[in-house]
Amino acid sequence: MDMSESLSTRDGKKLTKPAFYAGLMIILSLLPLFISQGYMLHILTLTFIYIIAAVSLRTITISGQFPLAHAAFMGMGAYLSGMASKWLGWSPWLTIPLAALMTAGIGMLIGYPFARLRALYYAMVSLFFGIGVTQAIYAGGIWTGGYGGLIGISPLLPPTTSKVPYYYLSLGLAMVSIIALYRFEFCRIGTTLKAVAQSHLAASSVGINEAWYRILAMGVGCFFVGLAGAAYAHYNLVISGTSFNFMATLWLVMYVLIGGIGHFAGPIIGTFILILIPEFFRDLKTYSPFIYAGTLIIVVYLMPQGLAGLPQMVRSWFTEHRKDKRTVHAA
Amino acid sequence: MLLEINGLTKYFGGLFAVRQFDMQINEGEIVGLIGPNGAGKTTTFNLITGVLRSNSGTITFAGKDITGKKPHEIAKLGIARTFQLNPLFGDFTVLENISASFHLYPRSSLLDIYFNTATYRLNEASILEQSLEILKLIGLDKMKDELSKNLAHGHQKMLGIGRALAVKPKLLLLDEPLGGMNPDEIDFTIRAIRKTQQKGVTILLVEHNMRIMDFCEKVIVINFGKKIAEGLPEEVRENKEVIRAYLGGEKVA
Repeated sequence: MDMSESLSTRDGKKLTKPAFYAGLMIILSLLPLFISQGYMLHILTLTFIYIIAAVSLRTITISGQFPLAHAAFMGMGAYLSGMASKWLGWSPWLTIPLAALMTAGIGMLIGYPFARLRALYYAMVSLFFGIGVTQAIYAGGIWTGGYGGLIGISPLLPPTTSKVPYYYLSLGLAMVSIIALYRFEFCRIGTTLKAVAQSHLAASSVGINEAWYRILAMGVGCFFVGLAGAAYAHYNLVISGTSFNFMATLWLVMYVLIGGIGHFAGPIIGTFILILIPEFFRDLKTYSPFIYAGTLIIVVYLMPQGLAGLPQMVRSWFTEHRKDKRTVHAA
Repeated sequence: MLLEINGLTKYFGGLFAVRQFDMQINEGEIVGLIGPNGAGKTTTFNLITGVLRSNSGTITFAGKDITGKKPHEIAKLGIARTFQLNPLFGDFTVLENISASFHLYPRSSLLDIYFNTATYRLNEASILEQSLEILKLIGLDKMKDELSKNLAHGHQKMLGIGRALAVKPKLLLLDEPLGGMNPDEIDFTIRAIRKTQQKGVTILLVEHNMRIMDFCEKVIVINFGKKIAEGLPEEVRENKEVIRAYLGGEKVA
């Protein structure tokens, strides 16, 4: 997959199709009126939370880093917030932002040694860091609930609340996070991150402190994934290490890759499709790893730009054809 | 004295790339650093710009000891460079390559950038203007919207120089700026380099192309990491040791 293709600054402008997004927002806001099934609302709520996680992973990848520990950071947010609410009795409305901030801090601390690593070494070190976090959760005894998971987390809203307010809360949180990360990517900060990703040698030669920018990307990415994790904890009320293990990281990576690494919308589309489609084929669950692997191979070979790149692929295919015709005329 | 190097030494394993190297460059000069392949020219550049750390010796720039500083800190002090292999921001357009390189002056704070304040917008407008100026100087203004990875080799080399100019350097290090260029491009590049020098930028360049020596005020010749000659171009050209280094023979008639 041509990763560098993703790193141009121009993709963003195509995203600003206000009408399309307004329409999408209206549909999403009205959806609870038509869906009576609590289960479907639950899945959508989770989807919104995972979208935050996937988009925040993208923010780190544009700096040329591809950490294999993103779910571990999500787990940090979830456990920090869950434990603070359970053991200290603090309100989730306070512990969620605090947990996100702490995850960002840990992400930046970890990002410091990470910033010196490249390619395979980066992948290996981040992978083992993620595994270490999961192990720490399991080893946490009564504090983290160990293998049994952490139970008794305070709910965000009174216990009798239906799924609908949670749906709107997670939708709102996802919107705010997406807008915040969109701005981050499409201002000079994002451009600098993309410059670092394309050539750290060239970037540092013009005075860019490339290590600091990689650390910054880690901090911002980890803040939002910590936020997603914390929101998840106070929605689900039970969390366990298996939700944040290496497999969970791989899912996030899949959302980003299949959605399309070249587009800001990639991880959003990828998360939507990869979470929702399997819901309609629940009987095939046993085979899902094979289906995902197959999908990934197809995407890599046929659509290196991912699902988000599909419209552009079709468009360029058409213009190529038109161009051919024109050159024939000109000749 | 703008740049002063004393006893600079760098070895890789048991192999000396640069050995007890001394060099002085005055402000406003244009100095050529030449030598056969593997003589240590690029290593010297990498040591000056902090890409490599020396084993011993000192590098002083504008009165400041810059030995062991990191590349981005050295850029900030006013030393810019191009690379022999010329890495670019390939997926950026020509214009974006330059504007992204305006990282230091003017510089907006992260918060200014993120919240799109008046300061940031003002800085960006000034960066755009200056970027277009640079593109005109390096002759790429008509291709500003091309992806830089799609440019011809000579144009990519020019873009590398343009990126270095965005640092607003006091000292510009050019690593084989004419490498792989055709005669027209060579003429154009030499003119652009001279124009840059006339604006008060001191230039140190590595080049195999002997044409560039003619307008150097001083030429330093190194071989096996050691300086073997220094002087005016014509003096160096007559120097027996230099001839021996290049031709490898013992006696040149």
